[in-house]
This record gives sequence, structure tokens and C-alpha cells, in this order.
Amino acid sequence: MVLTDDLGRTVTLPEPPRRVMALAPSLTEMLFFVCDPGQVVAVTQNDNFPAAVNHKPVVNTYPMDFEGLLMQKPDLVFTTDGMTSLADAERIGKMGIPVYYQTYQTVEDVLTGILDIGRITGHADRATARVDSLRARLRAIEQRTKGLSRPRVLSITWTDPIYVYGKNTLLTDKLRLAGAANAVDSVFKVPYPALSREYILRLNPDVVLGGPLGRMDSTFFRLYPELKRTSAYRHRRVYRVTDDLNARPSPRVVEAVEELRSLIHPRSASQPGQR
Amino acid sequence: MKVAPAVSLLLLTTGALLGLGLLIGSFKTDFSVIQRALFHYDAGSSVHYAIVHLRLPRLLLAFLTGGALAFSGYLLQAMVNNPLADPYLLGTASGAALGANLCLLGFLPIHFLGVYLPPVMAFAGALVVTFVVVSLAYQQGQVIPSQLLLAGVALSSLLTACLSLLTFLSESEGQSFRSIVAWTIGGFERAQWADLPALALVLLAVTLVFSFLHKQLTLLLLGESRAYHLGLRLGRLRWGILVAASLATATAVALSGPIGFVGLLVPHFVRAVFGVTSPPNILFTVWLGGNFALACDLIARLLLPPAGLPVGIVTSFVGIPFFLYLLWKKNYRFG
Repeated sequence: MVLTDDLGRTVTLPEPPRRVMALAPSLTEMLFFVCDPGQVVAVTQNDNFPAAVNHKPVVNTYPMDFEGLLMQKPDLVFTTDGMTSLADAERIGKMGIPVYYQTYQTVEDVLTGILDIGRITGHADRATARVDSLRARLRAIEQRTKGLSRPRVLSITWTDPIYVYGKNTLLTDKLRLAGAANAVDSVFKVPYPALSREYILRLNPDVVLGGPLGRMDSTFFRLYPELKRTSAYRHRRVYRVTDDLNARPSPRVVEAVEELRSLIHPRSASQPGQR
Repeated sequence: MKVAPAVSLLLLTTGALLGLGLLIGSFKTDFSVIQRALFHYDAGSSVHYAIVHLRLPRLLLAFLTGGALAFSGYLLQAMVNNPLADPYLLGTASGAALGANLCLLGFLPIHFLGVYLPPVMAFAGALVVTFVVVSLAYQQGQVIPSQLLLAGVALSSLLTACLSLLTFLSESEGQSFRSIVAWTIGGFERAQWADLPALALVLLAVTLVFSFLHKQLTLLLLGESRAYHLGLRLGRLRWGILVAASLATATAVALSGPIGFVGLLVPHFVRAVFGVTSPPNILFTVWLGGNFALACDLIARLLLPPAGLPVGIVTSFVGIPFFLYLLWKKNYRFG
């Protein structure tokens, strides 16, 4: 079996993998979404979803526990370029464990990633059915925000210094689907750029994501009182999003989009039976 | 170099740096906008707000911090009679870094009673460590410079090791390393008007006092024994230097982080240009230190907009080649 991963690397497998593992929490979620639970041989120290991860052996990824990984002997390891360095991947490869990288810029990339995992692990039909269901939910969310104004959203990842989700991150596409836009309108060299207070004042976001207003008021806006001039603060549109949902490109990406929609367009009715 | 042309040059440089600093930012501005913001301030204008409340305090903080660090370096180099001495000789930087990072790594709260704790803990850490270093060097009623130097180096290394251990043991998220790096290298992005008076007052007071003690400082550079025989009251001067340098450094570091090399390089540059015994050396050191920090901050902002590189990186990259040039010219000797 010869595969080409999202980094263009060739990954050769003697036979379809029966024992798999992921080195990123989002990919662990994908494996449990598509594979039989018994197929996932281990998880990492950061994995917390689904509940089945609590019954699996843990392999540390920071620092990388090569010996622990070797002990679990997976046939294939999935990871993303932000989580595992190419040097570590090469070392893992030399231990006889192939490494397959995925990368995502859009929600569609995440869904394609799920389909890829299904195809590679021998669960193509199950993956297709589940991805079709996710796509239907996304279409429904898009439908609900059709014709509404698109507020510009600034999502803060760290407060001192201020780091935010840049334009070239998955969040931009999630916001588009949720009926909004990323307030960061320039592409920086890094996906999560550091911004100055003046730059944020110039952006003047309509919505700020980073924490509940009460906490942000006593922390972020106390540290940077100048940013109380932004439209988001003046209209009290400062919200907390669920960290794992927001940060992970996993099958729960649809829940993440739904959460964004419910915060940004609270008056657009939720689809019955969801959330 | 003579005093009058030096003052003119410094004035010109400061004016140019402040002008450029006010001009550069995320909002597009020209000098007419700056003039209106400064003299006909419109509270509803975000551009005016950015110029007056973001750019101006940042420039002033950079100037005051650079001045304070250069001043402390000048005094400590004279006191321990060692060209390698810098403001962090007394463990101020490592004390401040440890104090701030105890909060950032989650061992202490980030906010307490609504106060953002890292700068407060940085100030406390700097002063506590300085006190311990000075106590270790205090023998028979005197502070022994060589002991001070060794105690400072040893304690700084110990605190750096403590910080490394805490960082390793910390369970906080990987992103907190961004804060740690920012606090370890230093920068002026968080500048606010409310922070400036304390540093300005400290710097003004110590600069004035030590400008009048110029002769005593020059005697100190001759070495302890000769200074003593020329009638210098060593004990009192050393205590004065310790209090002034540690207060100025701790205040600057609490607001801007431990910005490196300003306090090491600028005093040497001033002595190389104006001579070791020139009376206005203290004033020129503060002024040039301020200009140097202003220039480095400007470069930092231009190199990586919008937030800028941490200014401590720029001070090293700009300062060290300049320093090596001074050494290469071989026309300057310390003391």
C-alpha cells in the first residue's frame, strides 16, 4: 500500500493498517470517529475525547516517548505538522512505524482528512456515511445565517503578548460557515500572529472570542484598557468558546461552527434536535 | 567630543526618533495628523487615541527604560571597577524574570484583587534578589565589590536554574512560553501613561544626584585604594550606588522586562566618545541609553509589524557589533 500524505511524503505500508494511533488530539478523535475502538492502540497525554481514550495506554508526545511508542507497535501513526517535527517522524519511521501527516486550511480539508483515514484503515463506507451527515449539518448551519450581516471576529489565543488566530487558520473558514468573518484581514507569515493594541484598534472587531465578558473585563481589558474602545467591547460582544472545539480540527468541527453561530447570530434559530 | 555639539546631536537624534516613532504604526498617519492629535486632540478619533495613548507612552517608556538601564550600568561598572558589569549584576534580571514567571507558569495567580501580578512580582523579585546579593557581599560593615560580583553571578545562575526547573515542571499550556519569552527578552508594547511617572521620577532623581557626584565616581574608577587615599568615603558612595542602581533597574525591568546590553554598551560608548572623566557623562549616558532603546524599538517595530520583535533581540544585534567596533578601534580603555 503506497500513500502520499498531505505534506507530499510517500508512506509505504506492507498491508492495510490494523493497529493505528494518532499523535494529535484532533486525529485521535478522527480515529475513534471512523475506526473500531480496538484498532486504536494508544493515545497521547493531551487526549480527552471521546471517553474511550481513558481506557487506552498513553504515549507521551512532549517530549516524544519513542520507546513507549515502539512498545505499542502501531502499524501506522497519524499526525499533523504542528504536532510532530519531521525529524521525530523520521526517527519513528526508522523504528519501522510509518508516519502519515494531515494538514487543514478549511473545514472541507478536515472532512477530507476523515475520508482519508476511513480509506486507509479499511472503513471507507463508514467514513463516507458519517462525513455526509456532517456535511448536511454544515449546510443547515449555513442556511440559517444566509442573508445576515457578517460580523468581524477577533479570536484571541494568548493575552500577554496578544496572539490571535490569523487569516490562514481553520478558524477563518469556520467563521465563514457560521455567518461571520475573521477580523484579521492580512495574511501573516505565522498562523497565529502577535498583534499590537494599535493594530487591534484599527481592526475594530465586532466580536472578540477569548473568554466570558466578566473574566475578560477583569483580565484582558484591564491589562489593555485601550481596547475598550473596540466595537466588540462597547456592544458587550465578548464570548467564551469551548477551547477544545475551537482548537481541534476534528469531527467535532461541525459543533465548533454551530457554537460560533449560536454566539455570533443568537437570533438565528437552532436546528431542532441539535445542541 | 565637545559638550555643545554633543547636546545638539543628541537633541536632533531624540527629536528624529520621537518623530519617526509617532509616525509609524498600524493606522496610516502623517505629521499633520500627529500635530492635530497632540494639540487638538479629538477623543472620538481612534487615530488620535493611538498616537496619544499607545505610541507616545511607548516611546517615553522606551526612552526612560533605556536611560535607567544605561545609568545603572554606568554606576555599577564604576563601583565594581569591572568593564563587564551591567545593571543585572545584582541579580535584578533573574529575580524579575523568576517573579513574573511564577505567575505566568501558574504557580501564583496572574491577577490578584484586579491587579495584573507579573510586573508587581517582577519588581518584588528584582528587589529581593538584589537585597540577598548585597547581603552576601556585606562584610565587616562594607560591601566588597568582588564578593558582590561573584554573589550576583552565582545567584543569577541559581535563579535561572530554578526558572528552568519550574518551566519544565509547569503544567500550564504551551502557549505560556510566549509570555515567558516576552518577559525574558523584554519589550515596550504594554506601555501605559500610568506606568511612566514612577520610572520618570526615579530616573530624574538618581540622575540629578549622581550628576553632582561625578568627581567621586571618577575617583572610584581609579581603584579602591587610590580613591580611599584621595579622601573618598567609599562606604557611603557604594550604598548610594547600590540603592540608585537597583531601584532604577527594578522599576525599568518591572515595566519593560530585562532588556539586555543597553546597560553594558552605552556607558562604554559614552566614555569612549566623551572621555572617562567628562563631567556630563551621567547625563549623556542616560540620554544616549534612552535614544538607543528608542532606536532599537523603532527597528523592532519596522522589522516585524505589527507587534514588533522583542526589543531585547534588537538591542543585542545592534549593540554588540557597535561594541566590537569600539574594541577593534582600540582607542578606548576602561578606568
